[in-house]
Amino acid sequence: MTTTDAPEAPAPKLKRRRSALRRRNALIGWSFILPNFAGFGFLTLLPVLILFYMAFTNWNVFGKADWVGFANFQRLLGDGSFHIAFWNTIYYSVLHIPLTIVVSLGLALLLNNKLRGVAFFRTAAFFPYITSIVAIAVVWNLLFSPDYGPINEILRAIGIQNPPGWLTSTEWAMPAVVIVSTWRDMGYYMILFLAGLQTVPRELHEAARVDGASVWQRFVNVTLPCLRPTMFFVTVMLTINSFKIFDLILVMTDGGPGQATLVLSQFIYKKGFEESQFGYASAAAVALFFLCILVTIGQFLWNKKRSA
Amino acid sequence: MNRKILAAGSIAAVAALALAGCSSGDSGEAADPDAPVTLSVSAWSIETTPEFQLLADEFAKTHDNVKVELKEYDPAEYNTLVTADLAAGSGPDIITQKEVKYVTTFQEGGQLLDVSDVALPEGIGGASSYEVDGTAYAVPYRQDSWVLFYNKALFDAAGVEYPDGSWTWDDYATAAEALTTDASKGAYLHNWQSTVQGFANAQTGTDILEGDFSNLKDYYDNTLALQGAGAQVDFNTAKANQLTYQGEFGTQKAAMLLMGTWYTATLIAQQASGEANEFEWGIAPVPQLDASTAGTDNTPVTFGDPTGFGINANIDEAKADAAKAFLEFAASEEAAQLLAGIGITPALTNDAIAETYFGVEGAPADELSAFSWATHETLPENPTSSKTAAIQGILGDLHTAVMSTDQTIDAAITTAEERVKSEVGLD
Repeated sequence: MTTTDAPEAPAPKLKRRRSALRRRNALIGWSFILPNFAGFGFLTLLPVLILFYMAFTNWNVFGKADWVGFANFQRLLGDGSFHIAFWNTIYYSVLHIPLTIVVSLGLALLLNNKLRGVAFFRTAAFFPYITSIVAIAVVWNLLFSPDYGPINEILRAIGIQNPPGWLTSTEWAMPAVVIVSTWRDMGYYMILFLAGLQTVPRELHEAARVDGASVWQRFVNVTLPCLRPTMFFVTVMLTINSFKIFDLILVMTDGGPGQATLVLSQFIYKKGFEESQFGYASAAAVALFFLCILVTIGQFLWNKKRSA
Repeated sequence: MNRKILAAGSIAAVAALALAGCSSGDSGEAADPDAPVTLSVSAWSIETTPEFQLLADEFAKTHDNVKVELKEYDPAEYNTLVTADLAAGSGPDIITQKEVKYVTTFQEGGQLLDVSDVALPEGIGGASSYEVDGTAYAVPYRQDSWVLFYNKALFDAAGVEYPDGSWTWDDYATAAEALTTDASKGAYLHNWQSTVQGFANAQTGTDILEGDFSNLKDYYDNTLALQGAGAQVDFNTAKANQLTYQGEFGTQKAAMLLMGTWYTATLIAQQASGEANEFEWGIAPVPQLDASTAGTDNTPVTFGDPTGFGINANIDEAKADAAKAFLEFAASEEAAQLLAGIGITPALTNDAIAETYFGVEGAPADELSAFSWATHETLPENPTSSKTAAIQGILGDLHTAVMSTDQTIDAAITTAEERVKSEVGLD
């Protein structure tokens, strides 16, 4: 304000103006993300932090949250149902992730061509993803019906004498769920792969063709390496979504028959909302959180090593 | 500058809203018995569950200073939502106990007032379900129990004699097989675990908290045999096709149905509206384990849980007396008569109440129906314990494993017993 006479005055003035500008810009920036961040902070971050605390208590929802240290985690280690839920979740993921990648990539490659009616087929493949999950469960339950369902009718017609019991048998319930969830998810991941395929340079394919590379060789040596960023993204998303699988299983089998399709999220739901053991359920949720984060970190490290 | 004011203003507004949401507002007032009082009562599906409005209106008629307001909750998430409200300090004054297995959650959480001093009429059923260590935490007003619904037309067509109240499970199985035709099954068994385990536990006197489930074997063997013989729709088909018991019995696809007495009112209404076929039906006592409890000169053993009202432990002192008066009214014979008049099975039943109940148009008129509705030893399906929900969850897994024929009953019982020991613990 009183800097007009000093020769070195312009510098601090400029500095001040610049910092005011920076502050203003920062404020505007914050005000843009504030609605989203406030929602995230109050409805996601804060509950998650509280959950971490609750995992160390015996909270049963009515205020009495006594600190119990690692007792909940020790109990998890010895809980047979938790073990079953854990291995079922892994089993589901191991089947679901590669199957979905193969199917959705295959669809994307097929629908990346200039076919007649390609827009229709793309829409058709995406349709399951936007269909109500309850409707999906009802219809697939009918299809899988062991005695009168169309799937087993077809299997019998082609000469399979003892078709699987699908959702009614321990061995086949999980594969049946995987089939449905793959069918449901394939459209979404197909869109991601289709977007990725647009980034594969045409010249590389042409050069490879001139060099006499077969279709398979071009796929393995040109398409796949160019798709690596997409593939990485799809794998990470699929892994996290597979570990978190809940809704489809809840409406299709409710964990049954017996505990054949019990998964971690459902275990958490049962312990918390059905049995009011929120402390214990929180501990299981923390275990699921670390499972997700460890695998994701592993995938990031692996991707970094590959791209180096 | 303007932006700053705007930002500060909106932050202040958000903070104010958040704070307003946290405060609960009630401050203690001096107790005056005639001061105007508003009681809030938790309820669900008020449109299709008329009992709440009826009790509220009738109570208000004799208590000028009391206004009863219903607070409606989603029936499917009732316990979760009420729990959330109570935990936040904004629960209703009177907490309707929809399921007995959650009573201990509320009680142990210090949410229920001791209501042992509320006078109950002689012979009311279900009161023990609300007692913990001799202290009552709610009073029952409604108690459905399980009976056998049967379609007289299908019995006549198959030339099978109607149930006479003396049936054991063998008689039931014989009748079911004789009643099975190409068009209809002898019986429909809904896919709930109660339809097998409820009877097994009540009739063999088993306490599920003891963790011994060997009593289930005979009952599952019986029902699997019926399923195998084609006398009832098998579990897997019923599940895959999402069959409803109302549809199976109401449209004459099954001649017999084991179900709770709540179905009486539904069936009458559905026959009147045309949703269910027009046919003559009756209710009989559920089949018994042996002859010692069978027959109309005995008291048949069945199961069922009451529905009751408890009082919020944090209720305003000025309201507590009015709330207790409401509980006393809901359990009274006067209320029982009113409930029976709209097709609800009250916790208190006697001949006069049965007359009201069966006086409704469309209700069966035979003596056995009235007998089986009013006379039974109804044991609780869910013992009042904090372990009940977890044990019922394990038994639910047993039910799906056995009924889908995925696991043998012996293996499933062993699994369930081991799980209860390791996951829930025995007393």
